[in-house]
Amino acid sequence: MLELHVWGPAFGLASIDAECLATIAYLAQTTPRADYILIQSSPSAVPTHHLPALHDQSTDIWITSFPSITTYLSSHSPTPQTSRSLRADATAYTSFLTLHASPLLALSLYVSSANWATATRPAYSAILPLPLPWTEPPAMRAAMAARAAHLGLSSLDTDTEAEKNLAAEKADAAAGWVQIPPSLRSVIRPRPGVAASLTPEQAARIKLERLVGDVLDVLAEIEWDVPDKQTLALRCLAFAHLALMLLPRLPRPWLREVMTSGRYGGLVDFVHTAQREWFGGDAKLLPWMHPKAASSLGEIVGRFAHGLAQDIPLVGEELRRWWALRRRRGVRTATDAEAEESLTVEEKAAAEMDRRKRESVASRNGGWVQGAGIALLAAVNAGMFFYKGVNGESFWRSAAPFGELVQVWRPPPSTLAGFGAAGAMFSGMLMGEVD
Amino acid sequence: MSNASTTTTTTTTTTTTTATATSSSSPSTWRQAMPVPRPLQQLFDLVPLITYSANTLPARSPSTTPDQLPTLYVFASDEDARFGAPSFNPSCLKWQTYLKLAGVRFHITPSTNHASPSGALPFLLPARSSPTDSPSPIPSSKLQHYALSRGPTPPPQLTSLRLEAYQALLDLPIRNAWLQSLYLEPAHAALLDELYVAPASSSGWIRASLRSQLRRAAEAEILRTSSSPTAAVADVDAVYAAALEAFEALAGLLAESETGWFFGAAQPTLFDASVFAYTHLMLRYLGPAEEEKGSAQAPFVPARLGVVVGCAGGGELEEHRERMLKRVWGDPPVDREGVRRSIE
Repeated sequence: MLELHVWGPAFGLASIDAECLATIAYLAQTTPRADYILIQSSPSAVPTHHLPALHDQSTDIWITSFPSITTYLSSHSPTPQTSRSLRADATAYTSFLTLHASPLLALSLYVSSANWATATRPAYSAILPLPLPWTEPPAMRAAMAARAAHLGLSSLDTDTEAEKNLAAEKADAAAGWVQIPPSLRSVIRPRPGVAASLTPEQAARIKLERLVGDVLDVLAEIEWDVPDKQTLALRCLAFAHLALMLLPRLPRPWLREVMTSGRYGGLVDFVHTAQREWFGGDAKLLPWMHPKAASSLGEIVGRFAHGLAQDIPLVGEELRRWWALRRRRGVRTATDAEAEESLTVEEKAAAEMDRRKRESVASRNGGWVQGAGIALLAAVNAGMFFYKGVNGESFWRSAAPFGELVQVWRPPPSTLAGFGAAGAMFSGMLMGEVD
Repeated sequence: MSNASTTTTTTTTTTTTTATATSSSSPSTWRQAMPVPRPLQQLFDLVPLITYSANTLPARSPSTTPDQLPTLYVFASDEDARFGAPSFNPSCLKWQTYLKLAGVRFHITPSTNHASPSGALPFLLPARSSPTDSPSPIPSSKLQHYALSRGPTPPPQLTSLRLEAYQALLDLPIRNAWLQSLYLEPAHAALLDELYVAPASSSGWIRASLRSQLRRAAEAEILRTSSSPTAAVADVDAVYAAALEAFEALAGLLAESETGWFFGAAQPTLFDASVFAYTHLMLRYLGPAEEEKGSAQAPFVPARLGVVVGCAGGGELEEHRERMLKRVWGDPPVDREGVRRSIE
């Protein structure tokens, strides 16, 4: 039995992450449904700290990342022999997709503030159990922003831009510069022109179109629809990237618009055909494990505690490295399995003893971390409850938002119009200030 | 700097007033009105005011280079630079090779990132047409245009979209493996010190800090571009496995070509130079360990990228590297020992 740990479904696709989606597509086409199970997860839940992760229960081997998983699966099942040039092309285009297509996805789904707030963040909230949407999606967004940093389009991230402006204003105030009161700013500044009324995506449109065109031109040259001309792994990876460009409904759909502009009809057709043929049009039909059965409450709390610990200034990064290395050491990989095959019986017994010892240490550690996590969570909760923000708001209001837009009811502003006829009578005396 | 002639001692006027000030009013009255305390007077007499003459400019500074050749700033040792030998940085070596392919004549100067206007090496400083001329440097992104317009033998340009995909092999798996092997493998720590750390400073503290900075930067770069953006540590096995596959793919591509250059070009192109920049450096610096050389039973270590390059396909990449070396640097490639003996 194979367990595949992946990011959960979103946007009508089987996974929100391109590599996970590609792995699911590959597994769905190469393995009988009864032989594998899909588990909704996040990187903090698997010992390799990276999704997708394949756990082979029969040999207790963990394999991460799309290329390693496809190599592992193809070495365990009869696959047609491919020619040398086909394999060379597959390697090259796989690198190309990772290097050039995923930064575009990062820009569209993660960096762009509008898309992140209305589409991607709610999607993450839907697939993660409750406290985790506070820690994991922001970490994912930061990592994706770093991946797209070399494209020089951080202007799409209006949150960061606004924060920068605010920080600059504060620095000016601290340095003693003359400040214009906010009420006077609209008077002093000229009327906003066309440039000011454009969204960042519209302002950067020409550059974005060029970037997307550069990538899609290379991909559109290939006949994806003909199965024999490309390896299956490459077709899955291309489908995953193209589907995440095309299918999500986003408020700023520049990626989708360029793709459907007519020049890339072949790619659009390929995505729709593959989605229909490989998944039967519905990601829910795949053998998913019930999310509740996948992780216990204690585990979730432990993962949340880790997420919080990583945000501690100065030590957080080191803590994260230390923990990742420690967990990885306890994992059996395909290389370990190969090494073990060449061992003698005595050595195997010794290795087994060693592994049991490691496991018991790991489980003890796990318990310790869960305990610490619950304590930390309780402390944070208490802190949030008693903490009053600068404006007298409770922390819950000012905590980073996640998921669906929060509905806040506010009483309508009390104006003179609220007092009916009498108010209307007096309002004329206040220079027509009727709201 | 220019007033080297004012090497004078202030023995006549003990205060800091200048000669013009003292000449307008009588010095004796000043002395009587404000007598300098005796200990201070003695102290001033002990310390004469000396202005040293200006230092001469370093011999390698551009204003003193006599002939009218452009200068390419690269990572290189002083000795390599003098003989125009290949740089030890892949990006620098790529452009050095390409300019030489195009027939551009230039000097190379050892440099660091701090010297570059854009923060990255290499860059080219064009020749000055007059002594007062200050040409603006050409960054590496514009070097191809420069070589095509100025070089007497411009290499052919490829316009294949497939090339973009194969270029990604160099930019992702091969680059990451190079960073992992040179910067992060403990076995290559001495080499890293020799190439990048030792030339920067002689202070142990600064070297240690620079070393850790380089390591962190390399690791961050591998993590950023690898498929696992949120991972805290890179998966070393996966990095080397990806490089192995990438070299196999490049060897396969080269085997398709009948001319011996990538994509069947009649002459080596920019892509050949890019591949050569990695294969040459891996074969030269990250080859099999000294004690394993010649023995057929040497264990396969993935971090020894030179071995990986040599094994890829049917050895096409190693042959390609030999061809490039011969074409660009002549045969025998660089006999520096011989040149040094002849100079002495």
